[in-house]
Amino acid sequence: MGVVILKALVVVAHPDPESFAHAAARRVERGLEAAGHSVEVIDLGAIDYPGALRPDEWRAYESESPVLDPIVAAHIELVRSAEALVFVYPTWWSSLPAVLKAWFERTLVPGVAFVLDPRTRRVRPALGHVRHLVGVTTYGSPRWYVKLVNDNGRRTIARTLRIATGRGTRVTWLPMYSLDGHDEAARHAFLDRIEETMRGLR
Amino acid sequence: MSRVLVLFAHPDRGSFGGAVLERVLAGLARGRHEVRLRDLYGEGFESRLSVAEKRDHLASPDTKPQLARDFDDLRWAETLVFVHPTWWGAQPAILKGWVDRVWACGVAWELPEGAKRLKPTLSNVRRIATFTTHGSPWRVNALQGVPGRRIANRSLRVICHPLCRTRWVAFYGTDSSTAERRARFLARVERAAARL
Repeated sequence: MGVVILKALVVVAHPDPESFAHAAARRVERGLEAAGHSVEVIDLGAIDYPGALRPDEWRAYESESPVLDPIVAAHIELVRSAEALVFVYPTWWSSLPAVLKAWFERTLVPGVAFVLDPRTRRVRPALGHVRHLVGVTTYGSPRWYVKLVNDNGRRTIARTLRIATGRGTRVTWLPMYSLDGHDEAARHAFLDRIEETMRGLR
Repeated sequence: MSRVLVLFAHPDRGSFGGAVLERVLAGLARGRHEVRLRDLYGEGFESRLSVAEKRDHLASPDTKPQLARDFDDLRWAETLVFVHPTWWGAQPAILKGWVDRVWACGVAWELPEGAKRLKPTLSNVRRIATFTTHGSPWRVNALQGVPGRRIANRSLRVICHPLCRTRWVAFYGTDSSTAERRARFLARVERAAARL
């Protein structure tokens, strides 16, 4: 068996660089690099990424050229070459932080995530090159509560985005529930698990 | 008659989404409600939780004067009405950010000393209604696991009054819709808003 080298894109969405999410992102990076994969990291907080799709971007959305911001164009290039997409974020109100949702809305536009058939107006998936979708997320609530309110961030990634990547894409979910209820040792164990899982990504 | 807070999250008032808002407001006017409208795009609402807001997320709302008006609106409301397009299965980022920032400690919930779980405090809200448009057909949203609906009707609802009722009025397949079908939906929106 030959060595599989993946191009991985890691998107981190926590405003505080000293957060646990950032610690998790560093371990994601370390694990992927240890396996020989190439890694690009987008830290939305560090680049002052906007928190909403802009009105002019909305108007351009279904036009020939929906991309108006050079940052978005650069991110699209990274997405187009990515074989693994990894999202690291805190789950708030059962879903993605606004800034990560904004990244979805601005980056995964027609022509990138899907193509709109001009005749039938039907959406066709365009992210077939993505072999792995990974979610690394923390929840304030216990697991039973997360399941009760539907774990909507997970559904956005593992289901909604997976429609654009296709059935061949594997989803790996690394959750830490009841974040505040865990001691240092449990947090370290979770970080170790992240690094180990990322090192095992093929 | 009740106090209704309308959250509008569409970048263009002249769009189909804007027409939905107009009919929501027309319907509400028939019920003689007291209405406050927040046009999040129109006012350039900042949807990102700042580092300070995250670090001080247990601090009293009095320490966050930048959100004073938003806190006041949320405490005032008996009915919340969301009007937005559904993007990537859920609320637009700008509306998600309104929740991330405004449903804060001391307003929507508390964490009493020594408690492990937060205590909901938004018992003033007795109704949540959403009026939304989906670009894709209903079955695509079903495959997605209807995250937007569950964010509003479960995740937010559990923080409100224990008997809080929810209403979901949705249009599917905007991208391939006819003018006639859109007109029918707008009429339905107004009727539903009038009955709130």
